[in-house]
Amino acid sequence: MDGFWIVLTGFLVASSTGMLGNLLLLRKMSMMGDALSHAVLPGIVIAYLISGSRASFPLLMGAIIMGLLTTFLIHFFSNKGKIQGDAAMGTVFTFLFAIGIILVTKYAGQADIDADCVLHGELAFVPLQKSSYLGIAAPDAVWTLLLLFTLIQLVFWVGYKGWLLTSFNSEYAASIGIQTALWHYSLMAATSVATVVSFESVGAILVIAFLVVPAATAFLITKDLKRMVMVIIVQGFLSSLGGYMLSNILNASISGSMAVISFVGFSIVFVVKKRGLKSIP
Amino acid sequence: MDLLLKYIILEDPNVRFVVVAIILLGAVSGIVGSFNFLRKKTLIGETVAHSMLPGVLIAFLLSGVKSPIIMILGAALSGWMSIWLVDYITHKSKIKSDSALAIVLSSFFGLGIVLLTMIQSSFSGNQSGLDHYIFGNAAAMTPEDSTAFAAVCLIVFLLVASSYLSIKATIFNSDYAQSIGISRRKIDVLISILTILTISVGIKAVGIIMMSALLIIPPTASRFWTDRLVPMLIISGCFGALGGWLGSFISYYETNMPTGPLTIVCVSLFAFVSMMFAPKKGIIYQRWNKLLLRRRINEENLLKAAVQNEVRGKGKLFDRAQINKRQYFEQKLWNRTINRLKNKGFVYKVHTGYTLSMTGRNYGADIDRRHKIWEVYLQRRMQMSVHLVHDEAETMEHFLTPEIEEEILGELGLCSRFNPLLEIHEIIPDPDIA
Repeated sequence: MDGFWIVLTGFLVASSTGMLGNLLLLRKMSMMGDALSHAVLPGIVIAYLISGSRASFPLLMGAIIMGLLTTFLIHFFSNKGKIQGDAAMGTVFTFLFAIGIILVTKYAGQADIDADCVLHGELAFVPLQKSSYLGIAAPDAVWTLLLLFTLIQLVFWVGYKGWLLTSFNSEYAASIGIQTALWHYSLMAATSVATVVSFESVGAILVIAFLVVPAATAFLITKDLKRMVMVIIVQGFLSSLGGYMLSNILNASISGSMAVISFVGFSIVFVVKKRGLKSIP
Repeated sequence: MDLLLKYIILEDPNVRFVVVAIILLGAVSGIVGSFNFLRKKTLIGETVAHSMLPGVLIAFLLSGVKSPIIMILGAALSGWMSIWLVDYITHKSKIKSDSALAIVLSSFFGLGIVLLTMIQSSFSGNQSGLDHYIFGNAAAMTPEDSTAFAAVCLIVFLLVASSYLSIKATIFNSDYAQSIGISRRKIDVLISILTILTISVGIKAVGIIMMSALLIIPPTASRFWTDRLVPMLIISGCFGALGGWLGSFISYYETNMPTGPLTIVCVSLFAFVSMMFAPKKGIIYQRWNKLLLRRRINEENLLKAAVQNEVRGKGKLFDRAQINKRQYFEQKLWNRTINRLKNKGFVYKVHTGYTLSMTGRNYGADIDRRHKIWEVYLQRRMQMSVHLVHDEAETMEHFLTPEIEEEILGELGLCSRFNPLLEIHEIIPDPDIA
């Protein structure tokens, strides 16, 4: 049963972050996931220090605020400071991460928090904390991620037209009066939320992997947004299952194994696609 | 004070290694990062740094010892693989480089975590300290590490110095560089080698993220101060070194403060200060310049309108209502502009209105002449229609220098005493006459 919950958790993370990663990939902003997952650290630590508890809600708020601040700062640096985009991103998130690490180290004595536990959440512990709603006893993480999953489905499908337009052709979207900045910031907000909620249970590295690898796999296969989502969900499920099995064999981190398997999936599609293209001249 | 002195003369032998190593690391990564920055591949450092984790761990698994040289070799190898893989993915598929970077980063790092947890669960003794490669631990540096550091720094400096010109040519104009026989491939490989060397020695001291930050932030900061390569390399190196020095000092002075992150915060502060205050490219300078330009344009517009007023025989006195027929000024803007012109001696207040001074009249006439010269030029040389030239000239009149004016007149075959007022009347109907 533990295995089931772990695979389900991985799958939920993969499908929620994967759908956002899809939009990030189309906007050529894939490294944003990496940037956000590092940059929210000071937000989490400050929220923890203020609230004094490891309850999810304050930490979540701290992280989301910090995520939006990161987006804003990157925008400010590249627009007002005229720094090239990737350097602006690199400067902002490494700076914020450094602040986060300093805070963690400084208050390590009085707080039950360390960089390790924030960044490398462990999937193996997911089944330990359970609570039941509607007569079903499921791990806390599954409930939270289920909520996140629903939320992201809602955001994605309700705004489907907007996402489609702003992702594939933002200039055209702007010209017909769509608030591209608003969509951009909504996507960033959603990414911050998803990143933070997920890496509480699976760790930052798997979040970064699931943000980009399934989306990239889907992008290799199709350019249709709906089909991409389907590929992402399948890829996410297979990676979670395969990763769990691999980690059992190797007796190693489940999150890391899932990231590795997800890359294996990507590589297979990559090779097949490349061979396929060669055989059809 | 005592502490500062003790720190500066490096009395404490434990501190000596750390400080010298961090300063060297800052300088080297500032220089190497500049190359990546200028090639717009700033984030490659982030991916390479993360990708080194599995290499380090495999090196440890195979050798069973934590010798710095073997670890650096392992790190360098997997760093090299990551760069190759990013290039391969971007060249062989439609996936863009940012996604390729993220894919390689997350999968290599994931593999690293798998290996790390495997080692932690199956080895018992000597594996502590391996996670220093993730977050870095400057205090745990040994003299051996410092020696490895110095050696790598020397190699990097020598490599940069020996092929400086080829690197420069390739970065700024790779087509030209290829045409004079410099292999782009070779320079790519060279820059990759520099990046990998720097990161592979640096990660143990400051950790993955801090290492990539050291490659990103100093070049970003130094870019605000110069447009030339050598000064940029020097400034960037200095920012890195200074940041390293300050960071290690604060962490020595305050307990419970990690060196790597402090270094990054210091370097970031340099970047913020540069972005705000740097001459020419800083935000404040640019804002100020824009304001000055706007002011100048308003003044010139007002003077020009006043001169036109005189030329059309409306008398030497003018006020806001009269000027507004030609060039609209809001009350506030009018007050500010006319006051500045008064202070500069371009206009005088004469009881009910204003009148132009000699210099003001000449200035305004100059602007008017430039406007008309540009109109004539656009019509004769660019074959633009009469109705379109006015708006174009409205902006150009503020930017034509006397030299350009002379050149245009030469181009049009007119002498410098050409009086556009006489010529232009036939082309542009005067609103007053019409």
